Amino acid sequence: MTVAPAPTPARPPPWRDVRVLRIAGQAAVLLAVGLLLAWLWSNLQTNTERLGIPAPTDFSYLDQPVGQSIAGSDLRPTQSRLDALQVGLVRTIQIAIVGIILTTILGIFLGIARLSSNWLVATFARLYVELFRNTPPLVVVIFIYLGMFINGGFLPPQGEAFEIPKLLAMDIRGISVLWVSFTGSPWPYLLILALGVGLGWFVSRWRGRAQDATGKPAYPVLSGFIVFLAVAIVGWLALGGPTEITAPSVGADGRIAGGNKLTPEYAALLVGLVLYTASHVAEITRGSIQAVARGQDEAAKALGLTPGQRLRKVILPQALRVAIPPMSNQYLNLTKNSSLAVAIAYVEMTRVTSDLVANGAPAFQAFLLLAFLYLLISLATALITNTINSRLAIPER
Amino acid sequence: MTGSIATNATAWAKENLFRNWRDAVLTVVFGLILAFLTIRVLSFVLGSDWEIQRVNMRNSLVGPEISGTDLWGPVIGIWLGAAAVGVLIGAMDRAQHVDDPGAMLDPLNPAHWPQLAARTLDRLWPLLALVAFSLLLTTSAAGLLVAIATLALGFLGRAVGMRLPLGSLRWAALAAGLAPLVAVLIIRYGFGIDWKDWGGFLLVAFAGAAGIALSFPLGILLALGRRSKLPAIKALSVAYIEFFRGVPLVVLLLIGSLVIGLFLPRSLIPSEAIRAVIIFTLFTAAYFAEVIRGGLQSLPAGQEEAAKALGLPGWRITTFIVMPQALRNVIPAIVGQSISLWKDTSLMFIIGLAEPLRLASAFTRQPEFRGQGLITLTLFFAGLIYWVVSFTMSRESQRLERKLGVGQR
Amino acid sequence: MTTEPAGGGLRDATVTRGAGGVMIDMEHVDKFFGDFQALKNINMKVGKQEVVVVIGPSGSGKSTLIRCINRLEEHDAGRIIVDGVELSSDIKVIREVRRETGMVFQQFNLFPHLTVLDNITLAPRQVRKTRRAEAEKLGRELLERVQIPEQAEKYPAQLSGGQQQRVAIARALAMQPKVMLFDEATSALDPEMINEVLEVMKELALSGMTMIVVTHEMGFAREVADRVVFMDAGQIVEVGTAEHFFTSPREDRTKLFLSQIL
Repeated sequence: MTVAPAPTPARPPPWRDVRVLRIAGQAAVLLAVGLLLAWLWSNLQTNTERLGIPAPTDFSYLDQPVGQSIAGSDLRPTQSRLDALQVGLVRTIQIAIVGIILTTILGIFLGIARLSSNWLVATFARLYVELFRNTPPLVVVIFIYLGMFINGGFLPPQGEAFEIPKLLAMDIRGISVLWVSFTGSPWPYLLILALGVGLGWFVSRWRGRAQDATGKPAYPVLSGFIVFLAVAIVGWLALGGPTEITAPSVGADGRIAGGNKLTPEYAALLVGLVLYTASHVAEITRGSIQAVARGQDEAAKALGLTPGQRLRKVILPQALRVAIPPMSNQYLNLTKNSSLAVAIAYVEMTRVTSDLVANGAPAFQAFLLLAFLYLLISLATALITNTINSRLAIPER
Repeated sequence: MTGSIATNATAWAKENLFRNWRDAVLTVVFGLILAFLTIRVLSFVLGSDWEIQRVNMRNSLVGPEISGTDLWGPVIGIWLGAAAVGVLIGAMDRAQHVDDPGAMLDPLNPAHWPQLAARTLDRLWPLLALVAFSLLLTTSAAGLLVAIATLALGFLGRAVGMRLPLGSLRWAALAAGLAPLVAVLIIRYGFGIDWKDWGGFLLVAFAGAAGIALSFPLGILLALGRRSKLPAIKALSVAYIEFFRGVPLVVLLLIGSLVIGLFLPRSLIPSEAIRAVIIFTLFTAAYFAEVIRGGLQSLPAGQEEAAKALGLPGWRITTFIVMPQALRNVIPAIVGQSISLWKDTSLMFIIGLAEPLRLASAFTRQPEFRGQGLITLTLFFAGLIYWVVSFTMSRESQRLERKLGVGQR
Repeated sequence: MTTEPAGGGLRDATVTRGAGGVMIDMEHVDKFFGDFQALKNINMKVGKQEVVVVIGPSGSGKSTLIRCINRLEEHDAGRIIVDGVELSSDIKVIREVRRETGMVFQQFNLFPHLTVLDNITLAPRQVRKTRRAEAEKLGRELLERVQIPEQAEKYPAQLSGGQQQRVAIARALAMQPKVMLFDEATSALDPEMINEVLEVMKELALSGMTMIVVTHEMGFAREVADRVVFMDAGQIVEVGTAEHFFTSPREDRTKLFLSQIL
């Protein structure tokens, strides 16, 4: 047995030690970043002092009165800037939700149309997608607002309102649509509706089990829906009809009264966002349906399923899973794109902040707060998406 | 024979439009919608008085502050760009046809001209149509000469790129990337045109190109940082990426416009346009980082191990083994992100910079055009500029994707 | 100078049959992955020019063992000494050891964006600062040695699995290592291509290279191995000549394993 020569010592000098280098490397980067941030912060403090605006840590501006009102809301000028920001936040979320719903409907329809065997339908959808995907969303919104609504003659001037009787009336001050609103608090009826949903769900489950057990069709979805409808109607009657319909009407002087009025700003932003985002949703829908391998459809056919059954039980469930991540990404984009409101004076979160700053609020604090709110929304969306994704995930080995 | 054409047409219509009664209804409805829309758009385009755009064409292209001999700056910039793109396309073609160089279309060979013309038309027709329309509208001989020279330089570049030795593709790409930088420097410093005087399509093209070019190295660093095993570096990268992806670009631009000035000593505050470019860079870098991270993740771990086993030091592994492969895998996504940034440059409208939309609005406030509702027309043209470039880039990107999927390796 | 293993030295992997001097010395080596112990008290010496074949069931730690030698894994306890240099967290040491050891992977791990020749010359040019012409000359000689000189300008994707693995061997050899480590080099190959790679490995062994080969190819072991080491559950269970394993394995675990693969 030969003897190995004396081994070299196991303690390397620190400048060659991998472990030391790892820590030193991180420390160096942290130091550099820290120094940069410190320099920026000190500049901020110097400049705010010099300019006479509140120090970067001073958020007291939020308590001061906002000094103006917000079109379309109840905000009084004596309320605080924080209240104004809250109104803006609600507006952002509201337009996001409405936008998401409309976009989904339009986008899915277009996506399926893209795959239609009818050449005209497919071409129409394709032209739509190619048009809106390649147009910046701001261009769409501005074109609709300035080029169509305000200056383009799409909305007639006051006194010459365009009207579809009882349904729609519009002039340059806004678009009024037929609307259902609650007299008094909406909560009692909403509770009843929720009850109806729950009951309908149980009934459809029960009927579904009956169908599985006997093999005879028991129409679970239809039954559940009928139950829900019954509850909704009975509840409405029981509460004495808590809703009222307001219909727009054009008076003799040409003024519009009644209905739910959408300002041109809101309408332009909503329509622009929906038209733009729907083009992306259409592509996602199309892609996800095509992503489900043809073999799936063929296997389902071979098993004797009808086209409707194939679509509902085999294709769509798989397509849905593929589509959810990019779809939720588009929803988030739509929410972030609502900030385009600042360009056409629809007052949501971003416009509120921009207006506050224009009226003397400190820019750093105001925009920090705004960025923080958007980050919260992004985080919430990510969490919801991840939950849905993991719930729907098909187990793997 | 007319007989068979007619029968073919009816057969096609039967299959695609009138397969059953439901189909027929759809055909009628959508046919009417399409017809209505087409007529509306055509009558708008053909029936409007384009005088406002004719007079302001130069403004749309380079903004109102650049005139006279200074216009040579942007012209030289376009020529440089066209030549660089031509060289890149030629080199890419050469790399595709390693074994059969004779199959390539050669601009220097007159026999190939019809085919080249057909291909160029097919690929660039929206752009060419827009340019042709603008030239017809303004009846500008100078413009026509510039346009022809641009095309010629593009083809010349392709002829050069085709003849470069194999393996020059990455140098051609680098040159194509540097050409815009050189063009910008020439316009800014060669012709002394200050940043605040840049406007119109020039401004937007500059912001887009600068944003893409500058954010690329930053994006690579962030992607590496995100994947780092060192917790501090990873945390910093994640924080950066999540911030710039979570906050809308509109808000970031407003921050750039109103807040950046507070963070810097007075002497260092860059001009409005440069602040926007900085924001575009920081923003796009976060998205590039995610794209590149995807590419890094898709690389088999064995690549890095093999390189380590050979004794290659860490940074060389990244530069020679990991990055080339990761980047190559995500080229389509990177191009997609670049197109996105191009569209987002329109947001410079919001911070008051003289990009096409704002100019379109400004034209309608000129004394001779005031109050005539011409904003629809000018906005339409401005929107067309954005759409044409985006559509062209998007189609090229799809072609590139198909080539990369099928081609070598 | 060879030493016959003592009769009772069946578990003693520290007895080498090398030509002279110890190339690799592993003393009391442990390796943990979290709570799981992949290597338990490994004691092994590999002599210069010795060929050691390591066999064992999957999960036994064979790969971990050789990956610790070139520091692709960090051992948690004990000492690993390669040609007189002890492995530690010293960058200089790690780089030196990686230069002197060559590794061939189950998945080949060729660089797909480089030609075959560039694959081979990359490391010598970057690490040993060899000039391009010289590196390419060496590269072509190695390609001759592994019998695919005509593939120099091709890309890895254009080669068959067996050819790719031979390129991988040439690539490792280009650094002129003192030890070659083989991590199941033929396990990912189609059966008809295993032989061409084994031939190259045999030639390498006969030319005097120190080799540690993790493999299932018992025929190879029989022809070329100086020693065979059987590992199971992170421990070295039995050591001996290839002949010994085929005719009279001692331990039950060894017998069980061999009955499954032979």
